[in-house]
Amino acid sequence: MVMRGGWRVKLLQLWLPLGFFLLFTLFPFYWMTVTSLKPNAELYNTQMMPLLLYHPTLKHYVDLLTQTSFLLWTWNTMLVAVVSTAISLVLGTMLAYPLARINFPGSALIAFAVAATYLVPQPLLFIPMADIINRMGLGDTLTSVILTYPTMLVPFCAWLLMGYFKSVPHELEEAARIDGASHFQAMWRIVLPLCTPGFISAGIFAFTLAQNEFLYALIFLTKTDVRTVPVGAIAELIRGDVFYWGQLMAAALLGSIPVAIIYSFFVEHYVAGLTAGSVKG
Amino acid sequence: MVLRSESAVAVPARPLSRARFRIKEGTAFGWMMAALPLLFLVAFVGYPFVYGIWLSLENRSVARPAVFVGLGNFIADARDPVFWQVVRNTFVYTIVATVLKAGGGLALALVMNQNFRGKNLVRAMVLLPFIVPTVLSTIAWMWILDPAFSVLNWFLVHLGERPPGPSWLGNPYLAMGSVIFVNTWRGLPFYAITLLAGLQTIPGDLYDAATIDGAGSWHRFRYVTLPLLQPVILIVTMFSVIFTFSDFQLVYVLTRGGPANATHLFATYSFDIAMSAGQLGRGASVALAMLPALALVIAALTLYMRRRRW
Amino acid sequence: MANRDMVGATSSRRDFLRVAAAGALGTVVGVPAARAAPTTLTFLHDSSFIRDFDAYFQNQLAPRYLKETGTKIDYELTSVGTLQTRVSAIIETGSGADVLLNNFNWPFLYDEKYVDVSDIAEEIGKAQGGWYDAAKEAVVVNGKWKAIPFGNIGQLMNYRIDWFHEVGYDKFPDTWEELLEAGIKLNEKGHPFGFELGHGFGDNHGWIYPLMWSFGAHEVEADGTTVVVDSDEMARAVDFARTFFQKTTLEDCLGWNDASNNKAYLSQQISCTNNAESILWVAKRDFPEIAAVTGQTLNPKGPTGKRFHILLPWSHSVFTGATDIAAAKEFLRWLMQPQQLEGWYASAESYYAPYLHGYDNAKFWTAEPRNLPYRESLATSHLPGWPAPVSRPQAEVIAKYVIIDMFAKACGGANTKEVMKTAQAQVKQIYGQPA
Repeated sequence: MVMRGGWRVKLLQLWLPLGFFLLFTLFPFYWMTVTSLKPNAELYNTQMMPLLLYHPTLKHYVDLLTQTSFLLWTWNTMLVAVVSTAISLVLGTMLAYPLARINFPGSALIAFAVAATYLVPQPLLFIPMADIINRMGLGDTLTSVILTYPTMLVPFCAWLLMGYFKSVPHELEEAARIDGASHFQAMWRIVLPLCTPGFISAGIFAFTLAQNEFLYALIFLTKTDVRTVPVGAIAELIRGDVFYWGQLMAAALLGSIPVAIIYSFFVEHYVAGLTAGSVKG
Repeated sequence: MVLRSESAVAVPARPLSRARFRIKEGTAFGWMMAALPLLFLVAFVGYPFVYGIWLSLENRSVARPAVFVGLGNFIADARDPVFWQVVRNTFVYTIVATVLKAGGGLALALVMNQNFRGKNLVRAMVLLPFIVPTVLSTIAWMWILDPAFSVLNWFLVHLGERPPGPSWLGNPYLAMGSVIFVNTWRGLPFYAITLLAGLQTIPGDLYDAATIDGAGSWHRFRYVTLPLLQPVILIVTMFSVIFTFSDFQLVYVLTRGGPANATHLFATYSFDIAMSAGQLGRGASVALAMLPALALVIAALTLYMRRRRW
Repeated sequence: MANRDMVGATSSRRDFLRVAAAGALGTVVGVPAARAAPTTLTFLHDSSFIRDFDAYFQNQLAPRYLKETGTKIDYELTSVGTLQTRVSAIIETGSGADVLLNNFNWPFLYDEKYVDVSDIAEEIGKAQGGWYDAAKEAVVVNGKWKAIPFGNIGQLMNYRIDWFHEVGYDKFPDTWEELLEAGIKLNEKGHPFGFELGHGFGDNHGWIYPLMWSFGAHEVEADGTTVVVDSDEMARAVDFARTFFQKTTLEDCLGWNDASNNKAYLSQQISCTNNAESILWVAKRDFPEIAAVTGQTLNPKGPTGKRFHILLPWSHSVFTGATDIAAAKEFLRWLMQPQQLEGWYASAESYYAPYLHGYDNAKFWTAEPRNLPYRESLATSHLPGWPAPVSRPQAEVIAKYVIIDMFAKACGGANTKEVMKTAQAQVKQIYGQPA
């Protein structure tokens, strides 16, 4: 943790491992970028060094933006992901807080029941879920996925938040209670603010899962103007046994880079918002 | 809402001891909070859950009426050699990928927990594999793992290996290795960022105290970092196990269970039976065969979380 | 089930509005509300790899139908790999689309939820030169037409004329044995073959079943019960496939999907594969120099002296849960009229080979003479699992890739007897017979 010593230590402890991990995580993105910029003739050329790019073209991006409803899909995806993440964080907190900080009869059962929702896997759930959505008349609306995604996200958010809620010392809350704060006030003013990293962590997870989700979106969203990025791209860029590789990769990049930028903002905040001096740099 | 809960218990029928009062008040608050999300989960997962279990007990094809067969589907699974291969595959996939993600994620979190220029950018960039839609990133991996286009093969062939070099998805062992690798690539960033969040909550005084006591960096890690990080590591690992165990998208896009079932997992096999063959009941039984292992993980997690106070 | 369908259909808000509006209109103009034609029908399709084909429907046919009848057609597109999931969900929940596209054996899998359209089929057949026999094999369930066949996506040998010429072949080899000889020579020159043996969707069945059949082997007899995986013919087919694979084919084929051979062929890694017209079609668009040296021809003959092809039919069914079955049937009848069909087929050149003899000499066949063998192949094409009739167990054998994996394991080096024994036991178990 604590950095002492000269550049040699810094190289061994920081730059070498960091370089390794960055190569590991970012290499496929380099690949996607190069692929999305290659004309088809170059893409299919096995004689060339695959990492190099000789005649970059923006054709795949232009085609993606003009021949498909990609921007609309992106907007749908963001809307769905933001709303379902917000719902999941609120519901997750409502579940996790009492479970983590109050010992009341039935809490163990609730905790188990919540996690048990993962026991029936999604590839099976989608048929009854489609039935529910149809009965509610929500087919082909973004509401259908906004309502179903939290079923996957709430349990995870609740469990993750429980860990963070538990880590806040009871004394802090008790002091507030003695000063006359209600349970809710103690939670709202004392415990929740201390758990900001937990919320960001759970939020990132929920958001990502929501914007990645494929099966429910495939079944519930069938018109091109309500589709999300993954379903839209797969449905319209995989045609028979012909993949529109360049456009698929362009869609992958355009779909994820804005999110990365938003995340970098959050990541910065949750690092900055932490109690000063907790980490030795 | 809270005010109501307070007033509801503020007028007890008979005087209560303070401890008793607090427990009851806590109960009301707890149930008030948990009621809405629970209702939501019951409404949206309850019916599908029961439906799934019921389905597994039926001989039920798409578009046809059902016949109740009790445990018949499960007995048929037990006699199916591919089913047992799927069980083995799923365990290998889950265990290896989880170990890699946990170990790598912790290492990456420790590296990123240092102070360096551009750390926020790095922290965000590292998350990219987790952000990009899985179906699309997996399609990129289809090229990266194609021997004719793979960088590794390019180097191997130029070093004298007989072209086209190793077949990453055609050889059964390499194929399993490849899907595990891609899963690790995708899952490691979330581990890292969550553990980083955990590392950030460890008070710096603890390290100072340990240093004064003469602890080296390994000892500080072993006796300060690890114990304090344990709850977060455990929760992330448990959920990673659950998600990896029931993974679907990645394998479905990359190999669809091939070559010769070498990478078939519970979810993909169940999906093939339920959708391609239209045997909903059999498919449900394969998917539900995951239940014992998952239930064990979840029960362990619940117990641990209930008992531990930190 | 019927009850649930009713609930599913009427609880949709759109439907409710439609019914309400029709009812209101009915009271005003005095027409019984129930007779009112639906304003919208949903037509589910998979994204054709030929964009013009989908565009033709969206820009020509749908507006034409709207003008002629006042009914709007929603043309819903999904990818080929996700279509069956969509169809299953629609059938199970009772709503989502009115006219559905089928691949392979789906009319048999979902026949109880498909409307009998024999009347349309007979009428169309009579008017347009009669149906190919293969059409009946594809959609007639228990004597009833459960779908109207649209076109066959034939699978043929796609090969490099120039490379075959280099090793002394001016004509594509006529038998599997000769193809093996040619393959060995080509492989030595660095031009291996690429035949899919992974868990893809069609290209694996596209060559394995025809190979098997031409060796006289099949998994189940025509009676639909006698399992004959473990036979001498099959042993010969498996042995041949192993030699063929090991001496001519890229190892990577074991992990391929349907897009892989297109990619490998267009990147000039392989000299021969089994595929539909999509390779030549994309080559003509993006790689004219490859297109110029690409040939397409019938599958080779086996020791039986016969050649076979896979039947990959596209057909359209009317869903029993359709908002208005009569209107959906009417649309299908209209769609199958020459005024509509001719243009639609032509927009895809001959990719969807018609099952109607009336189109045998259509103009689109002469546009690319190299596609003519696709028409010829219809006479020797069968569904996977042939000669046994289509059944649920058979569909399960295919979905579990029992036959493909048997060949894949042998090609990976496993013992013929062993893989056959395993596959025989698996098929028997699926058919509910004691091992």
